Formats: sequence, structure tokens, C-alpha cells
Amino acid sequence: MKNGSITTILAGCMGMALSAALFAAPALAADKTVKIGNVEPLSGPSASVGVQGKQAREMAIEEINAAGGIKSLGGAKLELVYADSKSDPTVGVTETERLINTEKVNLLTGCWNSAVTYPATQVAERYGIPFVVPVAVRDTITERGFKNVFRIAAKDSWWVRDQFRFLKDMQDETGVKLQRIAFVFENGDWGTGFAEKWRELAKKDGYEIVLDEPYPSTATDLTPVVTKLKAAKPDVVMLVSNAADAILLTNTMAEMQVKPKVVLASGGGHADPKFLENTDTNALGIFDEVEWNTDVNKPAAKPANEKFKKKYGYDLTGESVDAYVAMYVIADALERAASTDPAKIREALAATNLTTGPGMIVSYDGVQFDETGQNKNAGIVIVQVANVDGKPERVTVWPKTARRAGYVPAFPANK
Amino acid sequence: MTAVIQAALNGAMMGAMYGLTALGLTLIFGVMKVVNFAHGSLLMVGMFSAYWLIRLTGIHPYLALVIVPPVLFVFGYYLQNVVIKPVFKAEGQVREPLTVIIVTTGVWYVLDNLALMLFGAEYRTVRTAISNKSFALGEFIISIPKFSGFVVAIATAIGLALFMRKTKTGKALRATSLDREAANLMGIDQYRIYNIAFGLGTAIAGIAGCVLIPFYYVYPSVGVVFDIRAFIIVVLGGLGSIPGALLGGLVIGLIESVFSQFMASTWTEAIIYAIFLIILFVKPSGFFGHKQDW
Amino acid sequence: MSRKQLDRILLAVVALAAFGLPLVVTSPTYLQILILLFFYAYLTTAWNLVGGFAGVLPLGHSVFVGIGAYTSSILTLQYGVSPWIGMLVGGAIAAVIGVIIGLPTFRMRGAYFCLCTIAFAEGIRVMVENIDTLGPLKINGPRGLLVPLLKDPTFWDYQFMSKLPYYYIILVLLILVLAFTWFISRSKVGYYLAAGGEEPEAAAALGINVANYKLFAMALSCFLTALAGTFYAQLMLYFYPKGLMGLDLSFEIAFIALIGGRGTIAGPVIGALLLRPLNEFTRIYLSDMLPGLHLVIFGLILILVMIYLPKGLTAPLSALYDRLARKITVQGEAK
Repeated sequence: MKNGSITTILAGCMGMALSAALFAAPALAADKTVKIGNVEPLSGPSASVGVQGKQAREMAIEEINAAGGIKSLGGAKLELVYADSKSDPTVGVTETERLINTEKVNLLTGCWNSAVTYPATQVAERYGIPFVVPVAVRDTITERGFKNVFRIAAKDSWWVRDQFRFLKDMQDETGVKLQRIAFVFENGDWGTGFAEKWRELAKKDGYEIVLDEPYPSTATDLTPVVTKLKAAKPDVVMLVSNAADAILLTNTMAEMQVKPKVVLASGGGHADPKFLENTDTNALGIFDEVEWNTDVNKPAAKPANEKFKKKYGYDLTGESVDAYVAMYVIADALERAASTDPAKIREALAATNLTTGPGMIVSYDGVQFDETGQNKNAGIVIVQVANVDGKPERVTVWPKTARRAGYVPAFPANK
Repeated sequence: MTAVIQAALNGAMMGAMYGLTALGLTLIFGVMKVVNFAHGSLLMVGMFSAYWLIRLTGIHPYLALVIVPPVLFVFGYYLQNVVIKPVFKAEGQVREPLTVIIVTTGVWYVLDNLALMLFGAEYRTVRTAISNKSFALGEFIISIPKFSGFVVAIATAIGLALFMRKTKTGKALRATSLDREAANLMGIDQYRIYNIAFGLGTAIAGIAGCVLIPFYYVYPSVGVVFDIRAFIIVVLGGLGSIPGALLGGLVIGLIESVFSQFMASTWTEAIIYAIFLIILFVKPSGFFGHKQDW
Repeated sequence: MSRKQLDRILLAVVALAAFGLPLVVTSPTYLQILILLFFYAYLTTAWNLVGGFAGVLPLGHSVFVGIGAYTSSILTLQYGVSPWIGMLVGGAIAAVIGVIIGLPTFRMRGAYFCLCTIAFAEGIRVMVENIDTLGPLKINGPRGLLVPLLKDPTFWDYQFMSKLPYYYIILVLLILVLAFTWFISRSKVGYYLAAGGEEPEAAAALGINVANYKLFAMALSCFLTALAGTFYAQLMLYFYPKGLMGLDLSFEIAFIALIGGRGTIAGPVIGALLLRPLNEFTRIYLSDMLPGLHLVIFGLILILVMIYLPKGLTAPLSALYDRLARKITVQGEAK
């Protein structure tokens, strides 16, 4: 309140003007490379998934560049530029702006968190920069009439649809009858989105919903939820969990001896590379829905996974495969666009029909976008954690055509 | 009904451990009149210490209880001496210097992110001799790691209360807590007492770390989940009160566990805040707080 | 040239510079960073009315940002009301809730007040996360609200294709709130607030109803904070409770104030000028190398500033300015 303090503001503002002059320094764009901006959570709560996506991208880019880059652009190399979103939408938007305006990227990918993807794709749409979303599953991301947003992964209504198809198919196959269904999910954007659709489909398929339980993803103790689950006596438990709560839930269920006939998770925490390490035998029998599994029936899948594992020390996950494939989809589009003009890249992406090549390690046959920008072939597999050679391993069981040869699913997992 | 009793048993065990995480916080506040926002990070340091000790040497978690807390005491002692003391000195005789809050928040950022740089963001658990073991009490299931956590928490609270009453250092701590200036006049070195208080608080976070590791996981920002809860517990019990922290922890643990049998567990969080505010308005000094502390 | 004249000239220069800045800074990236800088400076100035002048440390102001964002967005999405009007409605609601929170908490001191505001804020956030619809209002729980991107927005829509209008809106808001703070600090209210903050007992003995003035300050502060919430919603077009109403934002506001200088008019601006670019640039340049390094540096700077400048940056800076000003004015008179 002293006299000086009012005027001190002046000194500060002068400093600002000075730093503004620094801001204005032009960025030099190098030619002969195509810049791909990536907005990913590299620190903060989802850092571990962000890093997985980063490593998968790097491996794909190395391969593409080693194979001669983009031939129609004179062998132009792909260059990745990263930005840390910290899982924070505000930061995600600032970084997207920076990537577009300062780094002058030709196209964008990211952001894993739906919460960051919404506003970041909005920025890209404004500038007309194509944005390839490997993962962020909320339906609405491709349902806003945007022209420049393309998603590789399946959207959440498809995930849920396939979960119920799986339950039906398996009941038909084994003759086991499932009646009582329980929903347990993290109360974020992702879990509540799934639960909304679960309720609809469960009603349609004639299940009796015996528990519908959101829990805070920062919970320190999930025993109360598991106690409730035990009392509800469900046949099927459907889960959506992030990394930490997936571990806690699995171990607590084992400890409290809660053994429903079927436990069906939705990837995410249950698909995290650290999940099996932290739960070990407690995870046996759990079914998990994922975009991808190591035993997928594609020739390129096995070598790609071995290479990745050697490089980074863990198996590819659904999320990292989507990121990996996204790089090949981008390379393919650039090859056909023969230009770095965003509008041309956008047209090429929209016309994508990628069925072959080293990048095609996904469980389905090809990447093709519908008019909303959603990959219409995006497929899902369901795996079961089973004891293979004395170690818990994820084994593909559904769709039946993709099932690992010789494996008989334990359905129900607990008698 | 079975579920409710089961939930109450579990809530009491978890609650005692929440109390344990809050014990160090309340001790530091009681003596230094500072809300230590880095407390969750100290807990994280305790958990990582226990994690690596057990992971690398394979010792029994009970044995870790003897090794980790003394190490953390030294860590806390020097943390206060090097980082926090200068701010106290700069602020002179301000009773509750707010700058210290910012410094502890700075410590929180530094510790959490150092852990991120060193160990990465992934979740880690370690299988100990008591992990995943439980025993049956009639039709109820009692988890052994949680039960031992419960026992350790109560023993720690009793031990600390005795220490404060019976030993010379404990009496000096209490004297400083009651009246800083008077204690100074009596020849008690205020800053050395602060070092000891902070060291003790950190050591208790180390005990909590050892107790949590057999059934919980650790990652760099794990402290944040416990932090806010610990704040509520200490206010509920009365800032600076040892039995208050334990009782506050039990109340929170029971509400969280038992109430969630009757409603979605996301609502219990809101209920905890509501009960907290109600108690604060009815009896602002908490269960055991002194009038002069607020 | 007298000191007063010098102050005025400099103030005019700075204001002009701020308005002219977009002529130099044409990159939307840096405009965005500047917009966020002003946004934080604005929020901190509004916070300062309670946190600075009334002498307490509220750590839950993000809730009012949330109230602003939710009110205007719900009104726009469901009833087609312009966000400009929604902004004022949000401000009014925030002021009422601020008074409701203030009534019991202002009796408390120090740490209790601090923790109580955290509990209130977190409690409200948790409730928002648990509520999908409140009567006819669609709150959408943890999923947050998405404000649709318009093809040809008009001014009335509070949505713009370029960054420039956002820059000027937040700049004008910032200037208004600064002028307002200056006015308050000079008035009787400001004097009573300061007296109540520093010496509550003495002020009470003089017959000043400190609590009432504090409540008044709280209502104002919450009203102004909520306006920024609407601005945020229209800038980002998406927000959700954990991101917008969480403790991170509340803490950042308090940091900026304490580093800049609590209870001073320039403090929030100076704090934002230091912390925001620091935040952005350490993240941009360092997060690629080693995740977490940028936050370690951020934490270290917080600690160092507090150890060496416990009153914040404003005090030494204004001393410096005073000295310079004296030289200039003395020289001017000599001529």
C-alpha cells in the first residue's frame, strides 16, 4: 500500500515488454523434415502412459526414417516435437498453440487424456492443422463435426458394446448363465462415460444390476468398495480403473476373498505394464478389454514387440500400439499427399486405407476413417490373465477367431 | 449387517493409519505453529525408503520399522535446519509465518519431482512376508498388514505421548509449543527444538511408510492423497494434539468405510468435508485442541 | 519533473505498451502465454483483496473460478444466454457463496482459516463431481462441460477466432481490477481492512467492525474471481471440476501473491510476471530432458525467494524504483 508499490508495477511491466521482444524472435523452420507435434502427459498423474506413447512413437519414427523417410517428399524425414500437457487442459492448449505457431508443426498427435484432447483438438481445428488422436476414447471427440480430427482407437461406445458381446458369446459357448452384474468404476471422465453405456446395455441384455459404484481415483483404501461388492454377490463385475486403483482393487479383492464368476476390466490400469508385476497371482482369471495383445495374429506384431521390449524393457500395450500405428498412418498419408500443406495432408488422411506394411500390427485388418474421422475398423480384443509356464500372462480369448491356439478360457474364472 | 461390521473393522484399522500419517503433522504444528505442506512428501520419502530397503535386502517389514525411522529423523532434522530455519529467522517473532507455508510447499515440489526424476512415475509394490495375508475372525476377514499397521499406529501415538511427558527433550518441546518466548528465556534453543520436532515428525512419516508399504503402492506423488486427509484429521482432533490425531484418524477411517456401505463411496468424501466443517463451527478447537491454538 | 509526474508518465507508457504489445507479439503462442499471464495476475489481484489486505490466507479460490465458468456455460448451453450476462450472474452467485463461507471462517485465525478454506473448496469440488444434474441444470459431474466451437461467432457469443480479443478482454479486466484495488486501498474500507489484518484486537477496540469489512472484501473478491472463470471457459471452451476447481489453481494464486508481495497492488502483477514465464519456459525447455526437472527448479525458486525476500519481490523493487525516481526527479529539477 506504500506509494512505491503502485509504481513498482511499472518496473515490472517494462520487464515484460523486454521479454516480449524476446518472444517475438522468429522461429526458423528447417526444410526436408516433416514436423509432428505431440501433446502428451510427460509429468503429473498420467506420466507413465505418456512415456509409453512417446517411446512407441520414437520406435516407429526411427523405422520410417531408416526406411528412407517420405519418398514423395524427396525422402523427407519425420521429426517429433514433444510437449508436456501434465494432464492439464490449460497447459495442453498452450502447448498446442506453441507447436502450431512457434514450432510450425505440420500435424499433431496426442493427447491420451480426453480432458486435454477436447480443447487441444479445438485449437487444431481452428488453425486447420490435422490432428491424429491415437487414444482418448470419449465418443464426443469425433462427434463435434470437426474436419481435422482423426482417431485410431475405438470410441467408448464400441468398447462397451464389445464387452457385452463378449459376455453373450462366452455364455453361449460355455453354457454358463450370468445374471447379476456389478459396475465398479473410477469417477472420472472415462469411468462415468463407460458406466452410462453399461447401464443401457445391461438393461437391454436383461442383466440385473446389483451394484453401481463409482469410486474416487485418488482413494487410499478400496476395501469399503470391495466389502460392498462382496455383499452384492454379483456374477459379473465390470471395471474401469486407472493404474493405481487397478492394483489396489485386485489385491483387495483377493484379500477379502471376493470371487465373482467373471471380472471384466476395460484396459487402462489393468493393461498397464506394471499391473501384473504388482498383483501377480491375484490377477489370475481377470478378463481385460484392450486394443492389442502381444499374441495378436499378425506377422509384424511379434518382431515389433520383441524389438520394443528389448529397447524399453516392457511389452507394447494397447495405448503404445495405437501411437505406433498412428505414426505409420501419418507416414502413409504424407506419402500420398506429397505435400506438407495441412489441407492436403488432411485430404490424404481422410482417404486413408492402410492395410499392409510394417506398421500394421493391430488386431484388425486396416485403418480407414469414416466421415467423422473415427477409424471405422478399430477393433478390440479381450484377454484373460492366465497361468502360462508358471507365470501370469495375458492370453487373447475373444473374438474367437483371434483366440490363442490351444487355450481354453477359464469361464467362469471362479467356480 | 455383516458388511457393516466388516467395514467398521476395516475402517478402524485404516483410520488408525490415517492417524499415524497425521501424527507427524500435528507434532510439527504444535511446536512450530506451521502447517507443513511437505508432510505428504515426507511420507513418500518414508515409503520409498521402506520400499527400497525391503526390495533390495528382502528383510521383514517389521525390521524396516527399526531402520527407516531413525534415517528419516536425521533427514527431517537437517531439512528443517537448512531450509526452513532461515525463513523463521527472517520472519523474526511472527507467530504463524505464512512464508514458511510457501517454503514447505516448495519442499513438496522439490521432493516429489526429485523422486520422479530418480524413480520414474510408475507404481511400485513390494511383496513382503506379510503382504496379502489375512486371518478370519468369525466370519470377518482381517488383513494382517493392516492389523499390524493398526497396532503400530497406536503404539507410536502412546510412545510419542509418553516421550512428550517423561523426557527432558519432550518437556522442552512442550514448553516451546506453549510459549516460544518464555521457553527461549528459560534457555531452550528454539531452533534446535524445531529441528527435533521436524525430525520426529519425519521419523513418524517413516513409520507410516513402513506400515503402508506391505499393502499399498508407492509413486512420486503418493503423498498428495494422504495430505489433505491428514490436514482434516489434525484440525478435527485439534491442531497439535496427539490423541486428537489418532481419534481424528479413526473418525475419518470409520466414516469413509462405514458410510460407503450406504451410499456411493464418492459421496463419503463430501461427507467427510461436511462433518469436518460442522465440528469446526461447533467446536473450532477440535476434539482436544487448546483454545489458544486457533 | 516532480515524482508524481514521473509516476504518471511511466504508468501511461506501460499502459500504452500493454495495449500495443500485440503489434510486436504477433505469434498466437506468445499471445496465449501473455493471456494466461494476465489471467493469473487478474486472479491474484482479486484474491489479494482478501488474502492480501484482510490478512488471511485463503487457499480455495479456484472454487469461485469454477462457479463463474459453470454458471455462464450452463446458461449459454441450456438457455442461450450470452456469456457476458452469465459472467455477471456467476459473479453474483460466487459473491453470495463467498459470504456464506466467510461468515464462519473469518472467526478463525492463521492455519485454521487456511485449512478451512481448503476443506470448503474441496468439499464443493467433490459435490460438483458427484452431481450429474441439479434440478433442470446439467452439471455433467466429473466429465465437465464442453462449450461448442462456433463457426462464425459474434462479440455477443464471447468467442473469437483470433487471440487478440481475448488479450484485450483480460487486459481491460486486469486494469479495472488494479484500479479498483488502488481505489479501495485508498478508501476507508482499505484502511479498516489493513488495520483488521495486522492488529485485529486493536481494530476491534477502536470500534471497527472488522468482520463486516472482511465479508465485504470477500464478496468482492469472489465476484471478481468468478468473472475470470467465465473468461477461462470461453477461452478454453472446455473445463472439468478437477482441472478448474482443484487445489493446484488455488495454490498457484497464493504463490503468485506471496512471491510478488502480498497486500501490495503491484505484487500480483510482479509475481505473475516472474512465475508464469518461469512455469511455461521451464516446462517447454526442460520437460523433454527429464520429467520433473522443471518442477524441481520451480520449487527451489519458491524456497529461495522466501528465504531471501520473505516480503516478496515488490519491496526491493519499489525501493529500487524509489531510488531511481529520486535521481531522475532531482536531475530534472536541476535543469
